[in-house]
Amino acid sequence: MKKSVYKSAMSKVKTSEDFEAKTYQKLLVEMAKNAGTYKNKSRERFHMEKAKKRKVMIGWTGVAACAVLAVSIFALNGNDSTSPTNTAANVTPPPAATSTKPPIQGKVAVNIDGTISEVSADGKSFKVGDLWVTVTDETKWGSNEPTATTPSEDLLSKEFKVGNLVSGFTSQDVSAGKVNATVIYNNMAPQKDNGATAPTKGGKMAANINGEITEVSADGKSFKVGDLWVTVSDDTQLGIGGPNAAAPSEDLLQKEYKVGNFVSGFTTDDLSTGKVHAARIYNNMAPQK
Amino acid sequence: MYDSYELNESVRRALDKYSQSMIKVAFAYLKNTADAEEVAQDVFLAYLQKRPVFQSSEHEKAWLIRTTINKSKNMLKTGWFRSRNPVPEDLSYLPREESEVLQAVLSLDKKYRIPIHLHYYEGYSIQEIAVILQAKPATVGTWLARGRQLLKEKIGGLDNEEISV
Repeated sequence: MKKSVYKSAMSKVKTSEDFEAKTYQKLLVEMAKNAGTYKNKSRERFHMEKAKKRKVMIGWTGVAACAVLAVSIFALNGNDSTSPTNTAANVTPPPAATSTKPPIQGKVAVNIDGTISEVSADGKSFKVGDLWVTVTDETKWGSNEPTATTPSEDLLSKEFKVGNLVSGFTSQDVSAGKVNATVIYNNMAPQKDNGATAPTKGGKMAANINGEITEVSADGKSFKVGDLWVTVSDDTQLGIGGPNAAAPSEDLLQKEYKVGNFVSGFTTDDLSTGKVHAARIYNNMAPQK
Repeated sequence: MYDSYELNESVRRALDKYSQSMIKVAFAYLKNTADAEEVAQDVFLAYLQKRPVFQSSEHEKAWLIRTTINKSKNMLKTGWFRSRNPVPEDLSYLPREESEVLQAVLSLDKKYRIPIHLHYYEGYSIQEIAVILQAKPATVGTWLARGRQLLKEKIGGLDNEEISV
């Protein structure tokens, strides 16, 4: 083997042509997410600890439950001297052995997540999939984590309606088909499509507008991203739609389009002309300094 | 410590200058370009998060390569990586001799193929490889010699070629 043969072979190994562009985009997103410092780290850590503690508690509850079960079965077997199965030949292994098994039989939390298909007459029970879920006085509403915000009426409505999206969990056995909800995180009406988000008729497709502005027109209403001129008109929607979307900040969605700004959105126009109208602009932000 | 603009620039520069070296060293480790690119991307994320300060561009490159090797090692250890059965990388587009040489190097134990790669592809000396792999120079010398011996048995060559220390 010659040194140059290996180097030449390795140099020719094909890699993605857009690796650098993709990676750079990913890094920009990461930088935008963690702008400045990584303040959230301590919160995340705290959250993890809480989660861990709960798992451990569930584990111990499982061990305790197994132990109680084992003792009660043992006691029942001991008293039942008339049982035909209680012969020397049919002696079952000591049930206490089950308590040494890993706590896989312990109680676990099961998610309630889906669309309500039926609601009881009293409005306190609803059906998600095949499961009837009852809301009792003990059911907790919303997340009680230290960083959680108070749930809004839109996201956590007290009234259960058919078609609502609901999420939460139960600690009860779901095999019975009926459970009490332990926590309800969300109970919200499904998102209504307005005209802007309705699918475009006539086979038109939406194309992303994403990148750095390299040129801006004199009137400031058009800008160039890559090879595409994009015009923002009165019909252009700004920001992210939907009931859960927060109002866009001035930093992330500036009114003025400037060279060097990062812009994202989409158009439903034909790209081949090189000039399109923006259907929606999600972001228009200055690069980080 | 960088400010965001400097960081942005240094990451862009590092991507431009070192991404191929990183993908290639990860490829030498994992034998798969898709995984190698994933590892390289992870390294750049680590670069962004840790914001290391370097004395020189050589120092920066060495850090990136060392981190790539460490992350490749971690990927090899993960359960899903072990459990899967990947299709071998198709190298048929390479000229025959080059394909044979590359396959022969990739078939070596990673203990030998990484020093071989760092020396023959990156041009690092034994001392430099020792720093990157955090091993003794004598050990690296042994790995290189054994690796070359194994390659010689497989494909011949590398006779009388000196490796700079």
